[in-house]
Amino acid sequence: MLALLERPGPRPRGLDSALMPDDDQSLRRLFEEQALPYMDQLYAAAMRMTRNPQDAADLVQETFVKAYQAFGGFEQGTNLKAWLYRIQTNTFINSYRRKQRDPYQNSIDELEEWQLAGAESWTSGSSRSAEAEAIDHLPDSDVKEALQSIPEDFRLAVYLADVEGFAYQEIADIMKTPVGTVMSRLHRGRKLLRERLRDYAVDRGIVAAAPAPPRPGEVTS
Amino acid sequence: MTDCGCDKAKAELEEYLHRELSDEDFRDITEHLASCEDCNSEHLVGLTLIEKVRKACQETAPEELRIAIRAKIETLRFG
Repeated sequence: MLALLERPGPRPRGLDSALMPDDDQSLRRLFEEQALPYMDQLYAAAMRMTRNPQDAADLVQETFVKAYQAFGGFEQGTNLKAWLYRIQTNTFINSYRRKQRDPYQNSIDELEEWQLAGAESWTSGSSRSAEAEAIDHLPDSDVKEALQSIPEDFRLAVYLADVEGFAYQEIADIMKTPVGTVMSRLHRGRKLLRERLRDYAVDRGIVAAAPAPPRPGEVTS
Repeated sequence: MTDCGCDKAKAELEEYLHRELSDEDFRDITEHLASCEDCNSEHLVGLTLIEKVRKACQETAPEELRIAIRAKIETLRFG
């Protein structure tokens, strides 16, 4: 169990904080009141991280155990949601990611420029409102599948920004990367996502296939 | 007032969507979007994408997990 090694709180419990309850019982109540309500959100994130319900449940449980054990060091008044996400993201990266097969793992740098080319180039102003409408009409399952299919670091950045509404700086803290890296992951991730969604929309006949630019070397799987 | 132009608007659209711009830049781009159909439609796609992803990713934690976590916490002490 890595819990003790990565306790995120900077201070041991009980130092210099008048707000900190000093007995375990009230700290537990505080944790139940403040942290447990984030369970649905953390589970949703865990589903997108691990891509299956069993690993997602395990990840969320491990996150809450670690959070609970470190809660004495959590500084009241700071962002609890971001703190929980940081624990979950660390836990995921350190213990779950390794055992999952991910065809895109470590391959972000290998993505060719054509794969990252602007989705905007596909659509002109007039058909863009059709694109927005098509996205809106896709079933949720397509959106989740499309999100699953993009490289993990991109997926996490998009998730944290678009689903959770974290600020770039918060995402940088959660993912332990510079803000510039967050911006580039977000930018590329959203482009890929948009591209995939467009493919789904075409497959479903929601929009007509646009004269897409050539995509040399595309592998059909 | 001078329009900031499509180049700036397109370059900063994502930061605009995520509310990561200064007030001044935010105002400039809002003004541009109001008068430029092309950029406005690009903005609409961005908004739709965010909203769609947000809605699609909502989940409810299974009841067993809720119970398991509460039970687990009961057995733990704070470190």
